[in-house]
Amino acid sequence: MAKTLDAYANGLRDTRVWRSVFRGGRGPNNLRRSLAVQQNVFLHLASVKISRRSLAFRTTWFLGTLSLGTFLILAATGILLMLYYHPSTPQAYADMKDLQFVVSAGVFLRNLHRWSAHAMVFLVFAHMFKVFYRGAYRTPREFNWVVGVILLLVTLLLSYTGYLLPWDQLAFWAITVGSNLMSAVPVLGAKMRFLMLGGHTVNANALLRFYVLHCVILPFAAAVFLAIHFWRIRKDGGLYTSSGDSHE
Amino acid sequence: MSDQAPRLAAALDSDSRRTPLRVAFVTRRTSPQVKTYDDPAVMTYPEAILRAVVAVQILTIALVAISLLWDAPLEQLADPMHTPNPAKAPWYFLGLQELLHYFPPVVAGVMIPGLVVAALVVIPYFNINIEAEGIWLKNRGRRLRIFGLVIVAFSAVMVAFQVWAVLIPTLLIAAAMLLAAASPPQPPSRFRRWLVSKPVSYWVMTWFLVQAVVLTAIGTFFRGPGWSWVWPWRS
Amino acid sequence: MSKEESRREAFVKIGVGAACVAGCGAAVFGYDFLSPNVLYEPSPVVSVGKPDRYPAGSVTQDLQNGIYVVHGPEGMYSLSATCTHLGCLTVWKADLNIIACPCHGSKFNEQGARIAGPAPRGLPWLRVWVGDEGDLMVDRSTTIPPKQFLRT
Repeated sequence: MAKTLDAYANGLRDTRVWRSVFRGGRGPNNLRRSLAVQQNVFLHLASVKISRRSLAFRTTWFLGTLSLGTFLILAATGILLMLYYHPSTPQAYADMKDLQFVVSAGVFLRNLHRWSAHAMVFLVFAHMFKVFYRGAYRTPREFNWVVGVILLLVTLLLSYTGYLLPWDQLAFWAITVGSNLMSAVPVLGAKMRFLMLGGHTVNANALLRFYVLHCVILPFAAAVFLAIHFWRIRKDGGLYTSSGDSHE
Repeated sequence: MSDQAPRLAAALDSDSRRTPLRVAFVTRRTSPQVKTYDDPAVMTYPEAILRAVVAVQILTIALVAISLLWDAPLEQLADPMHTPNPAKAPWYFLGLQELLHYFPPVVAGVMIPGLVVAALVVIPYFNINIEAEGIWLKNRGRRLRIFGLVIVAFSAVMVAFQVWAVLIPTLLIAAAMLLAAASPPQPPSRFRRWLVSKPVSYWVMTWFLVQAVVLTAIGTFFRGPGWSWVWPWRS
Repeated sequence: MSKEESRREAFVKIGVGAACVAGCGAAVFGYDFLSPNVLYEPSPVVSVGKPDRYPAGSVTQDLQNGIYVVHGPEGMYSLSATCTHLGCLTVWKADLNIIACPCHGSKFNEQGARIAGPAPRGLPWLRVWVGDEGDLMVDRSTTIPPKQFLRT
């Protein structure tokens, strides 16, 4: 009867069921810590050991981690918001009002989605500048820098396509001006605009295309390039840490 | 035995008498792989994983607090028959929209963003971005001449189009670079030493960053109806 | 190279070539698919009512259709109300006798000519004619050279 919580937890970990799911071993030893990373499908992209310098706050300011964090918050809140949103005109605007006044926690979820989106754009830019200023784009990390620029563009496109979805005045005219900028591209501009909007003006077709881009195509592209981005970090020898006497 | 010196040829050999040991001189900053310090490795779990978790937790708390306090904007239903005044893009495009005020859409909307993206992509492939020495420490005279030419030509174009928002930050950065150029070889103050040590890539990127911030700030705070200039504390 | 290796190379080439053809075909079909064939947009040709609805010297902005109907001294004509800069909707300022765009400050005169602002051209003139039932018809998809007036 005097068993502590710890003892119960250890007992749980000794059961056959637990050990069939989690194959990490027992005890405060480095073998268990290694297996925790290496045997985990989500974490095994990372190396089992990591340089202490790369963990310091002043090395990266954790901007890459925070960008990924905002992306996950956006994915979670976005999926929830999708359950109450119809991408048709003018129903979309009515749904925004519903989210604000009728749906439980609707206003909170929408706010979180919006502010996280702004935060993500800011953090991705900050991450890019920090990587540049500490020289982490140099050989052998050139291609990872290029993948990072692609991710920056995907982030901006995600923000741009999401901007139209509330279907309010702000959304409609921001996208109208943006699509007219696209038609300024020489030769192919008008055709590109027609394809992007699915028509000649910003109307129901445009909303649906932007919705599919925002919720399916671009997040999928982001996931693919994120995987490449993390893989390249691993293959390039981990995060770049400058040699001792730099002026950081 | 001929009188000529033996031809040097590359060889792989485990006999260290026939193939002498190699001595390599590694000059400063030639390879990011050369370690000059002791860098212990620690276990990813828990060190890295838990740090990442805490960082994301702090981020989440901050964003949740902001979301509870401030509402995202929602204007009236989209109306193709009425353009709001002013019609502003999201904040990260306001810098571009400010440029649209000065240049035609082909330039400000297509060329400049295109050039910026292309420039970003090719950064790591140019040697001048790899060098980490101060800009004026090598080829000083030649670089000063190129610098002068670029600044004068660029400023002339900005004056011609009356783009003060670009001209003023450019001149400020150029002044800082000239201050670095005018410093003696062993500058007295720490700030001067730091300024002198900055390479070309640093100056160009800093110029870009300052420019982006200034243009975005103008587009956000200083532009009102009809994209006219407003003082934000007066409206 | 032995006969077997060159045969293998030949097959590889045929395979890659076929994949390229399939890829190009997929691209063409994809582009065709993405380009809508039916648009549920209103017809560009609109009727704006009988000509005598527009008194002489008047500039009427038809918000619904995004055009101006003007009855000038030389006759009637129609201008597109979409600013030629970036597509914002212009407004007619009767007190100032100009057409102004709220987005970046472009200004046009009654005949659509550009007075000020970043707009690259004047407002386009649209084709007008009197229809079968006596209504004034405007084709918003067809521009005509300026100063071609319709006398009624």
